[in-house]
This record gives sequence, C-alpha cells and structure tokens, in this order.
Amino acid sequence: MYVEFLGIPRERAGVSEVEVDAATLGQLLTALATRFPAFGSLMSRDGLHPSLAANLNGDEFVSSPQTVLAEDDHILILSADVGG
Amino acid sequence: MPFGYHGCYLRIDVLTGHAERVPLPETSLRHFLGGSGLGARLLLDEGGAATDPLSPAAPLIFAFSPLVGSPLTTSAKFAVVSRSPLTGRFNDSLASSGFALAGKRTGCDAFVIVGRAPALSVLVIDDGQVRLEPADDVRGEACGVAEEKLRARLGADYRIASIGPAGERGVRYATISHDGRHAGRGGSGAVLGSKNIKAIAVRGTQRCEWAHPRALTDLSRDLSKRSFGPATAKYRELGTASNLLTFNRFGTLPTRNFQTGTFEEAPRLSPQELGVAHARTRSSCVACTIGCEHIYALGKSGVRLEYESLFALGSLCGVGDGAVVLRASQRCDELGIDTISTGGTIAFAMECVERGWLDEPWLRFGDGEALLKAIELIGRQEAVGQLLAQGSRRAAAAIGHGSIAFAPQVKGLEIPGYEPRGLQTMALGFAVGARGADHNRSGAYEVDFSDKVDRRNATLDSVRHAIDTEDRAALMDSLILCKFLRGVLGDFYAESAQMLCAVTGWDVTAEELHETAQRIVATKRQVNLLAGWTPAEDTLPERFLNTPLPNDPEAMLSRERLNELVAEYHRQRGWG
Repeated sequence: MYVEFLGIPRERAGVSEVEVDAATLGQLLTALATRFPAFGSLMSRDGLHPSLAANLNGDEFVSSPQTVLAEDDHILILSADVGG
Repeated sequence: MPFGYHGCYLRIDVLTGHAERVPLPETSLRHFLGGSGLGARLLLDEGGAATDPLSPAAPLIFAFSPLVGSPLTTSAKFAVVSRSPLTGRFNDSLASSGFALAGKRTGCDAFVIVGRAPALSVLVIDDGQVRLEPADDVRGEACGVAEEKLRARLGADYRIASIGPAGERGVRYATISHDGRHAGRGGSGAVLGSKNIKAIAVRGTQRCEWAHPRALTDLSRDLSKRSFGPATAKYRELGTASNLLTFNRFGTLPTRNFQTGTFEEAPRLSPQELGVAHARTRSSCVACTIGCEHIYALGKSGVRLEYESLFALGSLCGVGDGAVVLRASQRCDELGIDTISTGGTIAFAMECVERGWLDEPWLRFGDGEALLKAIELIGRQEAVGQLLAQGSRRAAAAIGHGSIAFAPQVKGLEIPGYEPRGLQTMALGFAVGARGADHNRSGAYEVDFSDKVDRRNATLDSVRHAIDTEDRAALMDSLILCKFLRGVLGDFYAESAQMLCAVTGWDVTAEELHETAQRIVATKRQVNLLAGWTPAEDTLPERFLNTPLPNDPEAMLSRERLNELVAEYHRQRGWG
C-alpha cells in the first residue's frame, strides 16, 4: 500500500510518499515509526498523536489501530488541525 | 472590583472629546468575561444593534479580557466589536500583541467609541486620560508607517491601532491593524474611519491583580511547556500556509471563485516552494510561546503570510505566482483591507468578466498584474475599485444577471478557504455564523477532518459537532486565548475554568463556562435579530447547493439537506 504524508508528518518523514506493507493501521504506524524515527516522535501510546489524522483513500478518516487495510489502499497522514 | 478586571469601561465621544468611566457590574463580567462576549453585551447596551454602523452614533468597542496581562501564553489579545458595514450584522474581530496589554493598563476593561471627530484625528488614551490630536501627518499612510510616526511623536511606550488608507476611504472590509496584526474581518476599519479616527494610541500604568498568583504561575508554566509540543508543531514549523497542499489534496481548495476544489498550480504556493525564492523567518505576538508567524522576504521587507491570504489571493483568483501573492498580501496589509474579502470580491469580479457581465476585460483569472491592479483600485476606491470596495454581495446586486448565485459570501461576509461542498459540517458553520461565513467563530472544519462525520455527507449528527466548535470558539474569544492552543488543552472547559479561577478567584466550573459560551453565542444572535436578521440569511449561495464539485462528484450538498441541518441547528440551540 501507498502512504502519503502531508504537513508535519511530511516534515518528520522527510519524504512525501512511501510504499509499506501492513494489515492494520496500527501495524502501518509502527512500520513507519521504525523506518522514519522522527515520524515516530509523533506517535502516542495508542497510535497517532491527536494532532494528526489518518485518511483512507481520500474518503474516510480512521483512528483505530485495528482498522483493517487492503493491499491497494492509499493512506494519507496529515496534521489534524488543518485550519488557521 | 473583581481580580483581573478594572470594573469599568471608558466611553469616549470623539465629537466632543468627552470621556466617562462607566462601571461594569461583576455579574456582567462573569456572564460575558471579556473580548467578544463583553463586546457583544456592550454593543447591545449601547444601542449599536440597530444603528447604521457608519453613523456617528454607532459604537465601536475595543474589549480586553481578564487574562490579558497574565502570564498565560497567547493571552495578549483584544476584540473589536461593532455592527459590520459589510454585512449589517454583528461583527467581532480579534488582533494581538502589545495594544491589548497597553490598552488594559489604561485602567479600563473596554473602550466604547462613539461620535465623529471634526477632523481626521488620533485618539490618545494616556493612563485613562483622553485627548484628540491632529492626524494630518499620518493621513493616507499605511498602518505600519502611521504607527512608527505616531510613536515617534507621542513616545515609544505607546501602542497604536490604526487604519490604512482604505479605512480612511471607507472600504467596507477595511481592517484595524496593530504591529502587523489585523482585526481583519467585517470592516471595523471602515467604522473607525467613519469616526474620523486614524489611530488609537494607548499607554498606561494600571495593572490588575490576580486572585491566586502562585496557582496562575504554575498553570502558565505548564501551559507554556505544552504549547511547545506536537499539537502546535504545524504552526511553529510550517505556518498555516501548509494547509494549502492539504486542502488541494482533498479537493477542497477553493479555486477560481469556488468553481472547483483543486488548483493545478498549488505546489508553487506551498511553504516549501515559497521558501526557495523568499527567505523565511518566524515571529510571534507578545506573550506567545507558539510563534506561528512566518515572514517571507519580499524585496527589502517581509510579508507575514497565512493560509487565508494565500488561498484568497492565490487559488481563488487563479494566481499561482508566489511572488505576486506575497506582494498582493503585502499591499492588502499596507492599505488595510481584509485579504479574504479582497480576494473573494476580486475573484467574483473575475468570474463576472469571464461571463461578459462586467466590462473590465483586463481583470482575468490567473493574471497576477490584474490582481495587483484591482487591489490598488479598491484601496483608492477608484474606477471599478469603487464597486469592489463594497464587497461581493453589493457588487452582485449592482452587476445583476443573477450573479448573486456565485458571490462567495454568507450574510455579505466572503467565504474563507474551505470548500463547503467537500466540508459539509463547515458548510453548516458558514450558513449559521453570526458574523457570516467564518472559519474562526466556527471550527467545524476540524470535525470534517476527523472520523466523527462523513465530510461529504453531513447528517443531523453533524449539527452537535458544529455547535460544539462554535461554543468553544466563543469562549476562547472571550477569555481571550489563541485558538492555536486548542489542541494543547485537554479538558477544554475544565482547564479554562482553572485559568479563570486563578485570575479572578471565581469558583467557576466547567459547566458554568459552557453555559457562558452558549450565552455569548445567543447574545450575538440577539444583536442580529435587532439588526434585522431573517432566517433566509442562514444559507449558502446557489453555487454550493445541488451541484457537485467538478473535481469530486461525491461532494454535493443539496438545498434540502442544508435546510434540514440549519433547522436542526436552531432546534438544538433552543431558538425554535
């Protein structure tokens, strides 16, 4: 699957996109934190820090680490506070 | 008098120069706090709701708050409240920094300004003593220049809030500016200009005491520490300009007068790209630990660029040249006009030209020189600028052809950078907002970017979320604290109560503060009712209804659905 970073997650990861294999959102975030340690600093004990958001395929926003992912999913990880 | 307050406001008639201290009962302060809340209450008490905002009798209110002058980060803010000359409805706009601190040290919790000075003047409030001085040497000057000159004349310890040439000329969305920050929306600059006041200069020595200083210090230290964390990283490291690529990615970046939600040149306007050609530095308001201001070098000066200016003068007008957008934003700041209303009105005009309804063939989407020329004409109120200075709603009335259908405004206030069809909780927030289409008084876009709702298919469940963000905004604007802190606060109402208690000594609870927030929202509505509001105003322009976004066919909001949402909003608010 394909992960796209926007905002602060992009700054931390140092890339705008990457391919990763994971069965759930929780596994995906763990894999990203391992590959990009600076991104890992944005994680909280339960997953993404509340200041971040994860979106599936441009459609729904997801937050549960148990969210099941499909092989061809496109996950966007962005700053949650989009306004200003 | 209560801790954190002076217990009075200064009522100033600039025709006569007479000023009187009017007591503020503690019950009023506890019920409305300060900032927007206190301003709304005073606007009602002073009869401002039914008065022409540009008439001498119209009150213009500067309201401080109990937290101003405290060590709490981001608390150096003030609210400017009046009836808006752009919308005819309630208007509150906030600005930051030293003027709030100095203004409160004059010994008042608010200023209420009425009357019209005989000639263009500077209103000087020196530790509670009031006088008018001539403003001939700063007539026509940009706000920043006027501030410098006036501080040189009066003393460096003065803090200045001023209007630019646009406010002097009555542009209906003219701003009041202080130290590069702007009370931007709704045209309070035109109100001050109608009173023949170019600037207000304040200084003072009168400080308030805090009820529990040690507790307040501890709370402040903790809040400051948390303000450096992940919740504010976006503001510190990228600035709000980083929103542009996110919105473009989700197809919700208003482009070419909201014709579509993606802009092919968006990458050229990202902070990363802007930073390649224009060195970037950071700055912050007085008493702020977040430091959200990103200043881009432009020639020998710098331009503070926020997302709203970037979208309004960039994608909304079809302009993808970063240097042009920076220059356009700079000129808006110098002239003293709100960038959202400026960009929205110009974009509307560009579409009218495109359709052959406005005979200004030079004014085309994507033409940076045209954008800059239009801004100049607005600031001078010359040629087509006279029409555009009235805002998109009045311009549509004059142009006709049914152009009101795509004038990007609600209640006359131009829509900020959130495409309503793709962010439908925000769409509701726009429709029902007291001051019009507003991303600051409704934070509903955050709900749309969460798993709480389906942003392209709002249901009645969206309504309580929209109400929740509106209540929180009302409280933050009355305490006053910067909304960029909102992600830092855990239990919002409980923490707010703690801070307020430490300052005032009131045994205020989270529940009481929630009720206070609701009271403040209701008071703004009361102003609007007296100002002539009708239910038909709580809607969106035709463009946004029953037609999907071209770039996202699933993003469609029916008129029927919007009406249901608005009706449910009123029902949940208890307004029938």
